[in-house]
Amino acid sequence: MSYEVTVEPTGDIIEVEEGQTILDAALRQGVWIPFACGHGTCATCKVQVLEGEGDLGNASPFALMDVEREEGKVLACCCTPESDMVIEADIDVDDDFIGYPIQDFIGTVTEIKDLSPTIKGILFTLDKGIEFQAGQYINLNIPGVEGSRAFSIANKPSDSQILELHVRQVPNGAGTTYLHEQLQVGDTLDISGPYGQFFVRKSDEQGAIFIAGGSGLSSPQSMILDMLEEQDGRPITLFQGARNVSELYNKDIFEKLAQEFDNFTYIPALNAPEESDDWQGFTGFVHEAAIEHFDGRFEGNKAYLCGPPLMIDAAITALMQGRLFERDIHMERFVTAADGEKEQNKSALFKRI
Amino acid sequence: MAAKKLNIKDKYRLLTRDLDWDFSYEDRKDAFPYEEFEGLKITDWDKWEDPFRLTMDTYWKYQAEKEKKLYAIFDAFSQNDGHLNVSDPRYVNAIKLFLTGVSPLEYQAYQGFAHVGRQCGGVGARVACQMQALDELRHVQTQIHAMSHYNKFFDGLQEFSHQHDRVWYLSVPKSFFLDARSAGPFEFMVAIGFSFEYVLTNLLFVPFMSGAAHNGDMATVTFGFSAQSDEARHMTLGLEVIKFFLEQHEDNLPIVQKWIDKWFWRGTRLLSIVAMMMDYMLPNKVMSWKEAWEVYFEDAGGSLFKDLARYGIRMPKYSEVIEKEKEHVSHQAWWTFYTHGHATGFHTFIPSDEELDWLSEKYPDTFDKYYRPLWEMAKEKEAKGERFYTTGLPQLCQTCQIPMLFTEMDNPNQNSMRDTVYKGERYHFCSDGCCDIFEEEPEKYVQSWLPVHQIFQGNCGGPEMTDILSEYYKINVGADNMDMKGSPDEERWNKWKGTA
Repeated sequence: MSYEVTVEPTGDIIEVEEGQTILDAALRQGVWIPFACGHGTCATCKVQVLEGEGDLGNASPFALMDVEREEGKVLACCCTPESDMVIEADIDVDDDFIGYPIQDFIGTVTEIKDLSPTIKGILFTLDKGIEFQAGQYINLNIPGVEGSRAFSIANKPSDSQILELHVRQVPNGAGTTYLHEQLQVGDTLDISGPYGQFFVRKSDEQGAIFIAGGSGLSSPQSMILDMLEEQDGRPITLFQGARNVSELYNKDIFEKLAQEFDNFTYIPALNAPEESDDWQGFTGFVHEAAIEHFDGRFEGNKAYLCGPPLMIDAAITALMQGRLFERDIHMERFVTAADGEKEQNKSALFKRI
Repeated sequence: MAAKKLNIKDKYRLLTRDLDWDFSYEDRKDAFPYEEFEGLKITDWDKWEDPFRLTMDTYWKYQAEKEKKLYAIFDAFSQNDGHLNVSDPRYVNAIKLFLTGVSPLEYQAYQGFAHVGRQCGGVGARVACQMQALDELRHVQTQIHAMSHYNKFFDGLQEFSHQHDRVWYLSVPKSFFLDARSAGPFEFMVAIGFSFEYVLTNLLFVPFMSGAAHNGDMATVTFGFSAQSDEARHMTLGLEVIKFFLEQHEDNLPIVQKWIDKWFWRGTRLLSIVAMMMDYMLPNKVMSWKEAWEVYFEDAGGSLFKDLARYGIRMPKYSEVIEKEKEHVSHQAWWTFYTHGHATGFHTFIPSDEELDWLSEKYPDTFDKYYRPLWEMAKEKEAKGERFYTTGLPQLCQTCQIPMLFTEMDNPNQNSMRDTVYKGERYHFCSDGCCDIFEEEPEKYVQSWLPVHQIFQGNCGGPEMTDILSEYYKINVGADNMDMKGSPDEERWNKWKGTA
């Protein structure tokens, strides 16, 4: 038994199974509803029921007030339909979000290569083609590891039968340690995706700045390959940060693209080059390379940041001081177990950064 | 697919942006004469992001529901003689100070936001200011109603509005808002919307609301909850204001920084009244002023300024002085009121022995060393029947209008005095912060209506102090003022409780 739920204002229709929440079904069917906690306490996913009925589930009385219950508001993360429904969500329609449905895949490992001393490239073939927007990620189920692990897709969307992931070994990280030490060519893993709101806002005509650190090159690689394949003519600049030359992987790919495409500029930055590296390029952190290249002025661009939290943080400050603000900064933070639980007191000044 | 319906964002846009009009035959600058007055550069009002999307019909619906619940509780409170449930009659003095000193500020906030809403060229900001103006009007009304019950049973609440315009210590909050309202519209929004509502409001509400809860005042607690559901909206407006100004043009940074410096200093001075409410006027304590300051200003404000640093904003000027003040201001302020208790519209009192111990515990570095000895002396004198009141009138700071009885923070035995000469006249200040503010806009602050100066100039009646108090201030001398001990308030309370 399943019910049909129409999501206004877009009019998208989703099928919701008995006992499934509206939010879970919507996300799996590529319909974006804003959400945060996922368990009924934050009220981010509050929607208005226009027709039909649903069980309110465990919505907290502080997140969903009595008066709102009377008005027919529900929390999408808790509400299970009891009839066909029409709901209205506060959707900021991002015109560039395509919303490909989330599906389950079986991936077979075809190649494992050392990209750097700490990062492996893992290639899968999929049991069926995956539709995704360059920049999005998948969830990987790793044997013996509870829950799934998220990895950004590094290949371009037109190569839909394969999946390329860049995996940095996290100290004491169960998932990445398994992938580095035990995974074999021929193994199969369960994969679901695509997820995420990190993608190129192609309808925006401003230049694109990519700032990548460590294995955070994966998303920008997919995004840049995709844009260049589509003959996107806007200025595209990639800043890739690494410790030293051995960690600066896939450099050849981007140097070649920079020669081939006039609108693409590639600037690698090493913060701790070895003497033996004989490094002639930019020495310093990747955000410093961006400041130098753009002379500290970033207006007229959109920036896409991908990498560890410290790099992202430094890059945001550099961009904002160069007058590029939240609406033009998009990011994917690679938070790992190694980052620990640094619960920082966060002000409400910024929504996404 | 069915025809697309408008989403909430679009609906809100139609109700705001699209209600704006173009100026075809009038100059837009004539319609918004203050927009360039302060030197702030607004290049594109469309970049204003509505901090909340609340349409008027929803607004009325929510507020009506809140009022219904609130007034039901006021009625119950009143019918059940709720005033008899407060922890101690001394508590009501905090209510008196709030009603005379703070509630009228809500009305000034209403006036200010109504004015500023009219002056913003951007319609999104206009609508947000209009809604906040309505909220503030609701707050002043519900506050007065919440506290009106006490007026039937206690002295000192009957002339709050008249007194707000005249009484020496009430000129501190009053002039704070007048300063903001007589500034340009954008400074007002940074002063009240950002500095006050966003950063300092928690420090005002926490002691008042939690204080009410800890002291059995159900009417005030409920008012607080009802108002706080609006405060979330005010805080997001304050944040959007600061982001918007800083993102519009880089030349705005030094102007905004200057306003933040000014209004944080002005705000912390104003909060010294709240500091003494928390430490001295609440019989059941919530937390010490120092603790509240650490949680709400140093931690919460610190993370905000860490984020603001991305725009190039630094911590407010003199924040290192402000940090030291948390150890001293509440004690210095209450001592000032205690010694001037004949000229206050509420009762002052010596902390009980238990309270003195609590203060010693909460302020281990300063209370025993500097302040407890004063109270021990006051106790001795009182025991001998020599409760004393100072006979002189204090000098007031030209900027914040607080009596100049604060000390140097590094030497609490030395009063802090600053002065500067402008057009041949010497002006006096309580601090470097207030002196700086004056020097930035001397023409504004030379006009300050300083209550003590006004008394000496003969503008407040007199010449006897009692005449000024009773005729000009409308303080019911002998009932509203003086010590709690022996007051009619105390006498009535003891009768009600059968302990007289």
